[in-house]
Amino acid sequence: MSAHEVVTRRPPPSWDAPFRTERSPLLWLFEREVVRFLTIWKYSIVGPVLSTVLFVIVFGTALGRHVANIDGVSYGRYIVPGLLAQAMVNVGFFNGTTTIFEARRDRYIDDIFSSPLRWWEINVALVGAGMVRGAVVGAGALACAIPLTGAGIARPLIVVIGTLGVLVVASQVGVIAGSLAKSLDHVYSMESIILLPLGFLGGVFYSVNQLPRPWSVLSRFDPVFWLVQAERNGFLGHGDVSAGWALLAVWGIATALSVWSASIFASGRLKP
Amino acid sequence: MAEPPALSISGLSKTYADGFVAVSGLDLEIPDGAFFGLLGPNGAGKTTLIGSVCNIVRPTTGTLKVFGHDYRSREARRLIGLAEQEINVDRFLSIRQMLIYHAGYHGIGRRAASRRADEMLELFGLEHKATSRAYELSGGMQRRLVLARAFAHRPRLLILDEPTAGVDVELRAEIWRLVKDLNAGGTTIFLTTHYLEEAEALCDEIALLRAGRIVERGSSIALRHRHTARDISEVYRRVITAGVAGH
Repeated sequence: MSAHEVVTRRPPPSWDAPFRTERSPLLWLFEREVVRFLTIWKYSIVGPVLSTVLFVIVFGTALGRHVANIDGVSYGRYIVPGLLAQAMVNVGFFNGTTTIFEARRDRYIDDIFSSPLRWWEINVALVGAGMVRGAVVGAGALACAIPLTGAGIARPLIVVIGTLGVLVVASQVGVIAGSLAKSLDHVYSMESIILLPLGFLGGVFYSVNQLPRPWSVLSRFDPVFWLVQAERNGFLGHGDVSAGWALLAVWGIATALSVWSASIFASGRLKP
Repeated sequence: MAEPPALSISGLSKTYADGFVAVSGLDLEIPDGAFFGLLGPNGAGKTTLIGSVCNIVRPTTGTLKVFGHDYRSREARRLIGLAEQEINVDRFLSIRQMLIYHAGYHGIGRRAASRRADEMLELFGLEHKATSRAYELSGGMQRRLVLARAFAHRPRLLILDEPTAGVDVELRAEIWRLVKDLNAGGTTIFLTTHYLEEAEALCDEIALLRAGRIVERGSSIALRHRHTARDISEVYRRVITAGVAGH
């Protein structure tokens, strides 16, 4: 029997049968999102790992020899947690913005909206995949940074809770930005005008306590500062603020962004 | 329980953010098993109507039911297949992967999704391109892919928005043969096309849409009789073109 006969002779499904799944549509979309960034692994994984490792080599290893220890830690080790946070933020942001923006621009998001996927499943799948990409890049960069700087993990539980929070924040920022972007120019300008300055001014390369007032106080209004502090407390065992405050701030930001992101999907604002 | 219509729309209106009224107070019912054609000029509201039914466009007002289910429910979504006018395909996936993931979004398991994808590739003559990306295909093949995806989860209501736009005569004939066979097998077809003679030959009922409202509806014979016209093109000219001119 030909495919034509197989397909055309098969009766259509019953109109009153309840919707049942053999495999969750959420899992399918999550898998598709992971496959998406894996198909472009040189750009999505290797590039960010390499640029983070270059920062570690140039700033931490080469220039770091001429910089005094900070809080009793060599400069190379000191900047690793911040660089990891920055890498995860950049990767999460680009994952969310590009996947949503391209799906909207090329209109294959219609295939998802017209399917039985619910709004929160779409949201969770997109954010989850961004977190996986951030975690892979973070782990890759850390694996290279450890032998280069001798970095270690002082408080593993803080690292786990803090990193999860950082990944949620990064991925949600990307999803929100991708949802709001009207053009590719918006996507790239958000990265260079907002994300990059916040990263550099967030204490990745220095302790904000070294700054004179009011800069040391103003730095605390930078969300990236709290992401860096969560990682630094976990990896070094101390930071500019206590681990408790850092985790509270990171998860507070993560919750606020998740509510914002969910409201965009729930209200159908992605549809005309 | 009596079988509900495939599609039931009541009081549908859509006003876009820029104030453009695409659809205005539209009522429409399509019985299960019908081959229904919607004709109208560009900008008449066909794509907005289809987008509303398919949960792609947010209607401003109105009630839409698909086989008695609210159009946003998973039951309704599962019963609809959509082939849009534009070639809107996922350029990160191979075409086989695209069909598998599409079936997956409808809750189908991995093995069944792979089987359906292979069936669709064979049915639409795309087996030899299974590992290609959509942008590597010719225009006609991309059109076939969009149709294959629309039917991969085996919908009960198949919505085809200009399915033969830009395809050659041979492929058009192939597409119509398949769609007719699907309809004969029980799938309801909701079609928009600019090929009036084909709509006349294929559809058991035709509606004419102008400025977001259905202005005429009936079988092609009834429409021709009502307007004392030779064919549906003449009906179209009298109802749509004259209507636009007199607007």
